[in-house]
Amino acid sequence: MIHADTLQAKRHDLADALDVNELYQQKGWTDGLPIVPPTEERVLECLAAVNLASGEVIGVEAVRQRPITAEKVAINAVMAGCLPTYMPVVVAVLRAMCDEDFNLHGSTASTGGSAQFIVVNGPIRTALGMNATHNALGNASRANATIGRAIRLLLINVLECIPGQLDRSTLGHPGKFTFCIAEDEEDSAWLPLARERGVAAGQSGVTVMACESPHQIMNEWTKDPEELAETFAAEIRHNMLTYSIWAGNYAIVIPKQLRELFIAAGWQKHDIREYIFRAARVVRRDWATVGKNNIAERGKGPDQEFLALRSPDDLLVVAAGGPAGGFGAVIPPWLGTWSHAVTRPV
Amino acid sequence: MSIRVLDPTFEEARTEQSVVTGLKSLVDCTVGLLDNSKIKVKDILDTVETLLRTQHGVKHIVRLKKSDASRPAAPEVVAAMAGCDAVISAVGD
Repeated sequence: MIHADTLQAKRHDLADALDVNELYQQKGWTDGLPIVPPTEERVLECLAAVNLASGEVIGVEAVRQRPITAEKVAINAVMAGCLPTYMPVVVAVLRAMCDEDFNLHGSTASTGGSAQFIVVNGPIRTALGMNATHNALGNASRANATIGRAIRLLLINVLECIPGQLDRSTLGHPGKFTFCIAEDEEDSAWLPLARERGVAAGQSGVTVMACESPHQIMNEWTKDPEELAETFAAEIRHNMLTYSIWAGNYAIVIPKQLRELFIAAGWQKHDIREYIFRAARVVRRDWATVGKNNIAERGKGPDQEFLALRSPDDLLVVAAGGPAGGFGAVIPPWLGTWSHAVTRPV
Repeated sequence: MSIRVLDPTFEEARTEQSVVTGLKSLVDCTVGLLDNSKIKVKDILDTVETLLRTQHGVKHIVRLKKSDASRPAAPEVVAAMAGCDAVISAVGD
């Protein structure tokens, strides 16, 4: 067991937990919501859960060469409401975000205002009681809520991604409070996302993507898998026109009702990816239909084609959501290939 | 009764940095102009270059460019900037 003497952080002595919350609110050390007091005991329990020394560096934000130490991760995880058992997921997400491909600085500082869309796969989902069904993109489980929030608090406190300072988001979106889901592997015949992206069978994994706010779709009027995939593709095309044209990772979330229709038609995730790769493309003149006539003839002219995905593999297909309703979600990228989704084992 | 809690913010030793003394004059200086790949930056920097050469006596202009606006400048670009007396980083849009 690591001893409290090894903890490096400055101590604050206060009367009670309410006073702790007030101090941390006043200092701007929260996302505006109340926090759990990060006591030495709780922080030590979190470090013990991942068997990390307090000063161990989880990753380095490359632009400012700022190290993220295990102790600061544990402090912010406690504040977010995490149990010690959640720490392996929090650490894996941060390691993924420190991968050069993720572009941590750019994606967290940009006016584009992205959040981190986190997908958890493997046995740790069930061990932590993560939600993958009803209200999959909203509130339902402590683990989903607090793992995502731990990342946000760490960004605020350690990387100083403070709105109006380093965080230059024009709008941001609600996912910046927390946006962590689990895949419904038990009720899906499809290969889990992390498995598709290289994590071994039986091992847990996390995938993190710099994302804009999710767009909900609905199609309850067909059993044709092409028509169902077309609804997702149409939403992606719309995003390309109204938000960002640049190709990159998109994620789509497919709940059980639509999943069963795809599966009944013999479609696997790769069939969906192939369809959307072909269908999610626009030409420059389409911009004239969304109030962007001024750029409809620039570049290589009105017939210039743009693809949402560089290849079918750019599309992350996630099985999650409640059992009833022909809904789905498209989660667009922050800004195309300026940040890539990264998957890491837990 | 009291409660002892830990500070969540970055506290590790920060690299010692100091603000450089401003240049008294730009005459005969080398000035780097960093294009951050935002729209219309080239227009801005073309104008700045003209002003620096014609009105401030700048001797050398080093035009540099980032690969895109949201990624750090490449090491060779940073190295080239280090050889300049002053650098202007432009923001377009």
